[in-house]
Amino acid sequence: MKRVSVDIGGTFTDCFVVWGQQYIETKALTTHHNLAMGFNEALGKACDTLGLGLEEILGEVDSVRYATTLGTNALIEHKGPKIGMLVTAGYEATVPLSRARGYGEGLDNLGQQDMPNAQRPDPLVEPHMIYGVRERLDFQGNMVMKLDEEDVRRQLRELVDRGAQIIVVALVNSVVNPAHEQRIEEIVLEEYPSHLLGAIPVILSHQVAGRKGEYVRATSAIVDGYLHSTMYHALSALEQNLRAHRYEKPMLVIHNSGGMAQLNSTDALQTIHSGPVSGIGASEHLSLQAELGNVVATDMGGTSYDIGIVVEGGIKHYDFNPVIDRWLVSVPMVHLVTLGAGGGSIASYDRMYKTVKCGPESAGSDPGPACYDRGGMRPTVTDADLLLGYLDAENYAGGSIPLNPRRAKAAVEDALCDELDCDVIEAAKLIREKVDDNMANGLFTELRARGYDPKDFTMLAYGGNGPLHCCGIAQNLSIDKILAPPLSSVFSAVGAGNMHQLHIHEQSLYMVLYDSNTRHIFDDYDRFNAIVSDLKEKGTQDLLRQGVPLDQIQHDLELDMRYGNQLVQTTAVIPSHEVHGPADVLAIISQFSNDYGKRFGEGSQAPEAGIRINTIRVAAYAKHETVKFEDIKPLPKPERKAPPAPQSHRTCHFVGFDQAFDTPVWARKDIAPGVEIEGPAIVASEVTTFLVNPGWTYVAAKQDASWFLRNEAPVTRH
Amino acid sequence: MNKMLTPAKTPTLEEMNLIKKFLDDTTLFLGPDPEIMQNHDLMPRTDIEDAAIANVNDAHTIAKIRDRIQSGCDEGYEMVEQMGAAPGAKWGDVITGVYSASGDLAIASAGGVLIFSALVHHPIKFIIKNWMNEPTVGVNEGDGFIHNDSRYGNVHNTDQSMIIPIFHKGKLVCWVASTVHEGENGAIEPGGMPSMAESPSDEGLKMSPFKVVENYQIKRDILTFLQNSVREPKLQYEDMKVKLFACLRIKQRIEETLNSDGPEALMATLRLTMENVRAEVKRRISEWPDMTVRSYIIQDSTLRENCVVKINCKLTKTGDRLIFDFRGSSPEFTNRATNTIVAGLKGMLAQVFLCYVWPDLPRGQAAFAPIEVITDPHSIVNCSYDAPNSQSLMSIFTGFTAGQHAVAKFLYSCPEKFTKVHAPTFNMINTFIWGGVSQHGETLGNLCADLNGMGAGATANRDGEHALAPIFATMADIGEQELNEEEVPFLQLVSKKMTRDAIAPGKYRGGQGYTMMVATKDSEQWGFMTTAQGAKIPPLQGLFGGYACGTYPLSKVKNVDVYDVLMNEPERFRHSIEEIMNEQPFDDADYSTHHMGMGFEISKRGELFMISQGAGAGYGDLLERDPENVIRDIEEGLISPEVAARLYKVVFDADTLAIDFDATEAARAEERQARIARSVPYAEFVKGWNQPKPPAHLQYFGCWGDDVGTLYMGSPEVTRRGNQPRPNYMMHPKDVRIAELEARLVAAGAMGDEKK
Repeated sequence: MKRVSVDIGGTFTDCFVVWGQQYIETKALTTHHNLAMGFNEALGKACDTLGLGLEEILGEVDSVRYATTLGTNALIEHKGPKIGMLVTAGYEATVPLSRARGYGEGLDNLGQQDMPNAQRPDPLVEPHMIYGVRERLDFQGNMVMKLDEEDVRRQLRELVDRGAQIIVVALVNSVVNPAHEQRIEEIVLEEYPSHLLGAIPVILSHQVAGRKGEYVRATSAIVDGYLHSTMYHALSALEQNLRAHRYEKPMLVIHNSGGMAQLNSTDALQTIHSGPVSGIGASEHLSLQAELGNVVATDMGGTSYDIGIVVEGGIKHYDFNPVIDRWLVSVPMVHLVTLGAGGGSIASYDRMYKTVKCGPESAGSDPGPACYDRGGMRPTVTDADLLLGYLDAENYAGGSIPLNPRRAKAAVEDALCDELDCDVIEAAKLIREKVDDNMANGLFTELRARGYDPKDFTMLAYGGNGPLHCCGIAQNLSIDKILAPPLSSVFSAVGAGNMHQLHIHEQSLYMVLYDSNTRHIFDDYDRFNAIVSDLKEKGTQDLLRQGVPLDQIQHDLELDMRYGNQLVQTTAVIPSHEVHGPADVLAIISQFSNDYGKRFGEGSQAPEAGIRINTIRVAAYAKHETVKFEDIKPLPKPERKAPPAPQSHRTCHFVGFDQAFDTPVWARKDIAPGVEIEGPAIVASEVTTFLVNPGWTYVAAKQDASWFLRNEAPVTRH
Repeated sequence: MNKMLTPAKTPTLEEMNLIKKFLDDTTLFLGPDPEIMQNHDLMPRTDIEDAAIANVNDAHTIAKIRDRIQSGCDEGYEMVEQMGAAPGAKWGDVITGVYSASGDLAIASAGGVLIFSALVHHPIKFIIKNWMNEPTVGVNEGDGFIHNDSRYGNVHNTDQSMIIPIFHKGKLVCWVASTVHEGENGAIEPGGMPSMAESPSDEGLKMSPFKVVENYQIKRDILTFLQNSVREPKLQYEDMKVKLFACLRIKQRIEETLNSDGPEALMATLRLTMENVRAEVKRRISEWPDMTVRSYIIQDSTLRENCVVKINCKLTKTGDRLIFDFRGSSPEFTNRATNTIVAGLKGMLAQVFLCYVWPDLPRGQAAFAPIEVITDPHSIVNCSYDAPNSQSLMSIFTGFTAGQHAVAKFLYSCPEKFTKVHAPTFNMINTFIWGGVSQHGETLGNLCADLNGMGAGATANRDGEHALAPIFATMADIGEQELNEEEVPFLQLVSKKMTRDAIAPGKYRGGQGYTMMVATKDSEQWGFMTTAQGAKIPPLQGLFGGYACGTYPLSKVKNVDVYDVLMNEPERFRHSIEEIMNEQPFDDADYSTHHMGMGFEISKRGELFMISQGAGAGYGDLLERDPENVIRDIEEGLISPEVAARLYKVVFDADTLAIDFDATEAARAEERQARIARSVPYAEFVKGWNQPKPPAHLQYFGCWGDDVGTLYMGSPEVTRRGNQPRPNYMMHPKDVRIAELEARLVAAGAMGDEKK
């Protein structure tokens, strides 16, 4: 297999090239003004390794795939066109009011509790650019008030006169009857035809999100419209760059649904967070190939700790209403939780409880931790890691950031030692313990809320600080196996290299499987089958349009269901895609009951209150060949080898131990697969530090994978 | 000969104990216990807690355990929010918490309705005191207790709690509880908050704390009884289960801590968490300046009739003591539902501190524990057992605002601020409560989540946010109409459109509210009610020269099917109350305006009911408002050009909205001069303004002037002493109306014999 996968991040463009049996990982700085330059540089490095030219590689690969955080960045930087918006009259303030709670979406707990400081983010559409049009449909799509076309033309002209560069249309109940939204699009084209200068793109909400919820659908359409031109131009430029270098096939773009599609079948909204989602995709792939079972993927960087879940059996965890930046939207996105904990998390004295607080405030990269010597005066997790002996002050981040231990010491002393009446090492240990506890608690809640037990999981630890903190985090959970995965420095790009082409189509509906009032069980089988068939057809057409042969197209059917009038919708994966009798309906009910009981506790099911389907979802996909990892499982203990002599020793301090340890240090490149090292130990690479706590064993595996195995059965701490 | 009377002998201790035993053994009824209900402070440390703390007191270990339990509470909260069937559960009108073995709330979920956190400890303490050693009840592993009666510790009877004890090796170590605003409770009006209630007997289910779960199973016979007592048996069933399973999830987390760290670590954590918070609150109070601030809020109705009801508040800080003195507030209404138990008031005052003063403090009972509250007995903020209180929110919320307004003055002068100085938030639940039979044939009773869209007060440096959050919860949700319309047979024809000129001006204006217009569509058995004050007198005060909000009445259009209009003459329909009421576009329809206390009213298809959310208060002198912000308000439809010119004295071109800055400055200077011209010396003002008694033509309730010891009861001639309760009955509004009509008949000489 020959393939190029790229993850374009805010700072680095990561590239992963598979060239037969060779796997090459390279990096270059992201070039925001022209993404192709960074891409070419990263790929150029791979060319050098392979001794081939750019065109030679691009001419032979089966695909080029992109994951990118560009959309997220554009949102954060607030760079987008002036949007004009048409909504159902009487709903003009729906978006500005953001369901009231919009002030706190994407904020930490304190930001949500502090009401006098509560402030909604700067709007993507200014309130005076939102106009109501006279129309109304009811919840079944029946006409209540017909569309006043003259009113639409009037409002439209006014929006354009006010400088609207793109029109977003979001009408109430348009997902059950899109006729009014579609007619408005026609009117826009009539008024501003595409062959004229001044043609205006139109985004219809029902085409961006298929679910009910007029606010979340509207924000989805707005975000999509806001990013549309940025993403389109940036990605088109990339595609042209590929064409210029002999790549003839369609460029594939990774979606936050966990799949990918061609550029012309991609909405801007679907690309947001596709980088981190690709990391979870890589974890899933790794889990399957290396038979890891359930995996919790954790990515600890400088400011955040991302958690994703991959479980056996292929059950996907989606967020249907994820928060993107500060906006609640409606898009099926692979579930990803971000905690405010990283190397830059600031530690402070907790006056009330007489202990240490850590985060969510972060020193970020500028000024960064105190030890960066860039003006940061407050102690951070990285400062604590340095003081405890884990980091090499001269060779941190490959030597690119020299660390100043005196700064770290002064910051910790000033902020904590007097208040806590302890020495600097004790304070550093408390920082370390606190941040690891915070992450462990977040991880635990994340798994438990979905009905899982951490002890049934392998932790994947990646990101710059992941392997440095993973033992401390797992220490507090019942997890006794941690894998720092192969190719971890370009892990998201690796994930992109293993995605399948995928399209998700869904329909909101009011379908009662069991009516508790009439005690009637659903029997409108034709309706159910017709909807499923229609959704399958849409997905099939998406893939056919991209040249996927019909016989390679597969479908998964998922139903979002609930008891009575609950808010929660539990997803049931239904193997049989048609219903023909009561037995089929009861099988669906039974599947739902099992999944619900698993999540909320056996016995918590409440079928007596009625059972409904709220959404029918079909994932249409075509599987692609995936990257083969070597056998990265740790060798059985008797077969493991002793390590070479350590490079050096450092004095390290560990949480839970009063004494310091004279800790051996190895370079990762000197450790061959199969080598076992007992903790405490440090294995350092250019991009991260593998810290092996006392009580843990480090085992190197193929493809630079690293295992951390707990020596004894863990004590349950949660 | 006179016989010498033998003076009654003082009973000995032994005799006293005998008497006590007799009385204890012959208690007729275990009603709310004043000893429990009047005390919001922490229970004293127990010997067991002392021993636990002696063994486990390392602050870092305690912090570790606390964080773990906190995340357990958050997990439970999320479960209730997700699994709950009540609309309240879906928008976050929920809380979960862990209580000490003595019943104090130590750790509460980070999300949800805080006021519950200050209340649910009361029923737990009732259970401890009365059922623990009661052979017919008992408290055992696997038990669960249900409760909703506000008189035993609750906001109102629409909130239900599930409470479970946690044991370790047979010993009680703590309690876990989950509370949800359920809505329907079988009261005389649907939706759980009847304003028509004239006695507690009209308020639906009144569950004193009792056992409903054994061996972690809900007892079917009791469940059936409860389902049989309410309009929504499905809701009753679903949410009892949900609350139980949320408690069980938190219990798992606690058990894991018990297994890993032991019961002493858990008990020490719970106790020290509360004590640390309490000490920190005392410390923060001590940094405030010593002074007294007086404030008051006027309620303009009992929800049945208009009248003037005073909530009087004096806030005094001395040393590390902070005292809210609500004496002088209105007497309780014996047959009106707007009274609150004092615990409800305290719960809401706790919210002032946890969300608007010290938002960094952890949620729990301890944050308000050291703050003192004084009230008159049998007053509207401390009502008696026999007074209805299903609409307690009216007094709880106005009490909150009086407190919030007074606290703002302290914050302004406080050296260390934990948030911004701010004007009061809008405080009324301007929403529609609804009930009847849905388009799916289900009997429902609940309310629109729009009560969560209360406008925020302006702050010291910026305008208030529109429709931000209710004063009783953060991150609450006003929901999605598309989802609501699937369940209920009415449409919000106007759902979220800013109400023009519904403002609270100031240098920084308050956040505004939005218009709602509803009309029943697909049911012949459906109706609405509204329960708010502020249609005639604003329920807020502005800050430092900022204005209070406007007043917000209910408008109705009857004798019309607006759905026919929308289909056949859509051009007649208007999307604002202002236009519909002024232009009266529907032929032959009846247009009317009312106060916001509409009792449950059946609505015919297509009749319009229209209200607006309210604005938070303004901050600072409106003549200092940046003219550009005034024009932006016009552009965003918040104010009319007339208001901009008349109130803010901004001069601008009517077509282009271009500001004439010089003319604006001149107009403002002129207005300042006019203010000076209108003013009089303070003593002269007092002399001309003060009256010895309230006016006779208004029904006025509460103290008048400086004499807080005398409470007026609807007339200048009828009073009571603050500390000497008297019944305070209101006539039925229909009787009042009949009397008026009869008087007119008599005056017209047309009165028959029937009223002799």
